[in-house]
Amino acid sequence: MSSPGIAAAGVRRSFGNVHAVRDVTLDARAGAVTGLVGPNGSGKTTLLLMLASLLAPDAGQLRIGGIDPVADPAAVRAIVGWMPDALGAWPSLTARETLVMTGRLYGLDRDQAGQGAHRLLDEVGLRELADTPARVFSRGQKQRLGLARALVHDPRVLLLDEPASGLDPQARVELRTLLRRLAAEGRTILISSHILSELEEVVDDAVFLVEGATVGADRVAAAATRGRSWRIRLADRDARAAVVPVAQALGLDAALIPIDRRDLLVSFGSDADAATALAALVAAGLPVAEFAAATGILEHTFLDLGGRS
Amino acid sequence: MNAARLWTIARLELLQRVRTVSWYVLLGVFALLLVGVTALAFLAYGGWGIGGAGVYSVVVYVTLLLILLVSPTLSGNSINGDRDAATLAPVQVTLATTGEILLGKFVAAWITGLAFALVAAPFLIIATLAGDVHPWTVLISLVVLVVETGIIAAIGVALSGILARPLFSVAVTYLVVAALAVGTVIGFGLIGSAVASEGLSKSRYAEYDAMGNIACKDGSSDCYGDADNMICQDWQTSTYRVPRFDYVWWMLSANPFVILADATPTHFDQYGSPDDMFGWLKYSVRSAQLTPELETVWDECDPDNYRYSDLPNPDYRTPEDTIAATVPSWFVGLAVQTALAALLLWWAWARTRTPARTLPPGTRIA
Repeated sequence: MSSPGIAAAGVRRSFGNVHAVRDVTLDARAGAVTGLVGPNGSGKTTLLLMLASLLAPDAGQLRIGGIDPVADPAAVRAIVGWMPDALGAWPSLTARETLVMTGRLYGLDRDQAGQGAHRLLDEVGLRELADTPARVFSRGQKQRLGLARALVHDPRVLLLDEPASGLDPQARVELRTLLRRLAAEGRTILISSHILSELEEVVDDAVFLVEGATVGADRVAAAATRGRSWRIRLADRDARAAVVPVAQALGLDAALIPIDRRDLLVSFGSDADAATALAALVAAGLPVAEFAAATGILEHTFLDLGGRS
Repeated sequence: MNAARLWTIARLELLQRVRTVSWYVLLGVFALLLVGVTALAFLAYGGWGIGGAGVYSVVVYVTLLLILLVSPTLSGNSINGDRDAATLAPVQVTLATTGEILLGKFVAAWITGLAFALVAAPFLIIATLAGDVHPWTVLISLVVLVVETGIIAAIGVALSGILARPLFSVAVTYLVVAALAVGTVIGFGLIGSAVASEGLSKSRYAEYDAMGNIACKDGSSDCYGDADNMICQDWQTSTYRVPRFDYVWWMLSANPFVILADATPTHFDQYGSPDDMFGWLKYSVRSAQLTPELETVWDECDPDNYRYSDLPNPDYRTPEDTIAATVPSWFVGLAVQTALAALLLWWAWARTRTPARTLPPGTRIA
């Protein structure tokens, strides 16, 4: 438990009869983005609330930057930036005022808070809306304001609950760049999201949460390497016409190859099998235009772990 | 406790308040109400020649009434309302402590209530300029008004931290205010009447003839007032119920209007009557402390009962005498209210503390 990032061991928390978090053990490194992946109701938000020092765990150990949030919440709050999934903004305050006020609550003086707000508004792309009351913000704009609010005190640890929801594609790219930069500065970032393809592109590590418990590394590894589908498309013909030559080249039954819009979906047991198959297709003289895993590794693992239920 | 953070919390509340139109509408309606009240009070007190003090006390009372009526709405949802709007948790994760959040919201609610007193200020100045308002009356009544506003604000903020639903906590705040302002009066009246003592009334009348003339021992009919010559009937006794308000007068001491009246120094005219509403209310409440006469005697055969006398009635007391002979209770009432508000605030603190161990049923922290 001496990791400077986030460490949790055997954490449990229930609300009455609802066991929101049963057994969470995780490690999030400093300088890396760690994804928290799990279906609805798997306890992601509850876990983040405990890490943010708002909720006390029933059992288990939590350390954020080496500090116990139950024993010393103030010290944890000084180094943690938390972005909640619920969009709560003071309706009649402008974006700038919101950030200045939050900065003041983090103990910044007036000038620091003002300069910080100015910089953050630029960073999250709210400069034009700086002096507009939050009441009229769209969901995505509130989301950006929430992110800026979490960054006000230059925190070493960031807890982001669904930060990408409601963002347009451009904003997502910017969010990704920002998160990579923050991680490169040595911060610990724990991010939960449902949009796995999105997460795939930004996280270094992933923690899977199913029914309130983290999934062990061995199970994750097994799920990740289990057979998955690949998308194949030929350049010179449509999917229907491609079925027979592809089946012949791979020695498969053409009737068993599903067609998904323009592509064929073929299952391979491992990455090595897939590579061999690609070589066979090329050797057969077929013009392969696309040969790619149909699902990202996160999504694949997530679904394999029963995340769909 | 950090003053900068506490004031930031209060500013957050106040900024949002001053940016809503309905707030100004409310203050405007109150100002209009005061125009009417002040005009009517001047008419009502105009004939007495020393109207200023009376008008002043009426305006202060109307202000207190309005603050009691409006404050629960303004403060009774400050914490659970924020939780519902998801703006509480973002404050709780900052360095602001639970105590700072509670006190910041309390200060904001207090200042909000005092805005009504500020609107009343011009009317109070007009009443003071009308004359004969004593500086001590102004000072003490305003201090009590400010303190009462704070107590109601504290109760509202505290209940919003204790109860999960904003609508429910506003309603409970109203009930607490009503218990203090109306409940004390109802309790006083009902309990005082219920614990009534038995009073004894003894009376004896003189004998009259069939024509209605006084019957005399010497046969004449002009002996009225001559005790030796009148023929007296037998003593008659009857019992009746006497409410014992002297047992329950202390219940009124927690009433905000009574505290205001009881704490404010009273000035009397030449007949010993108070010159403002504070004084009259103080007189009524203090009178309840006096033990009622449990035996009344009327004897027609004793001319002292009805013979006109130049001497002042030794039993008659002016309001000034009554007030001087009874004990003040405003500090007890104020202490009870302050203790109630402090206790509720402490409870709210325990319920709102983070990291939270137990949550009010049916709530999320964020």
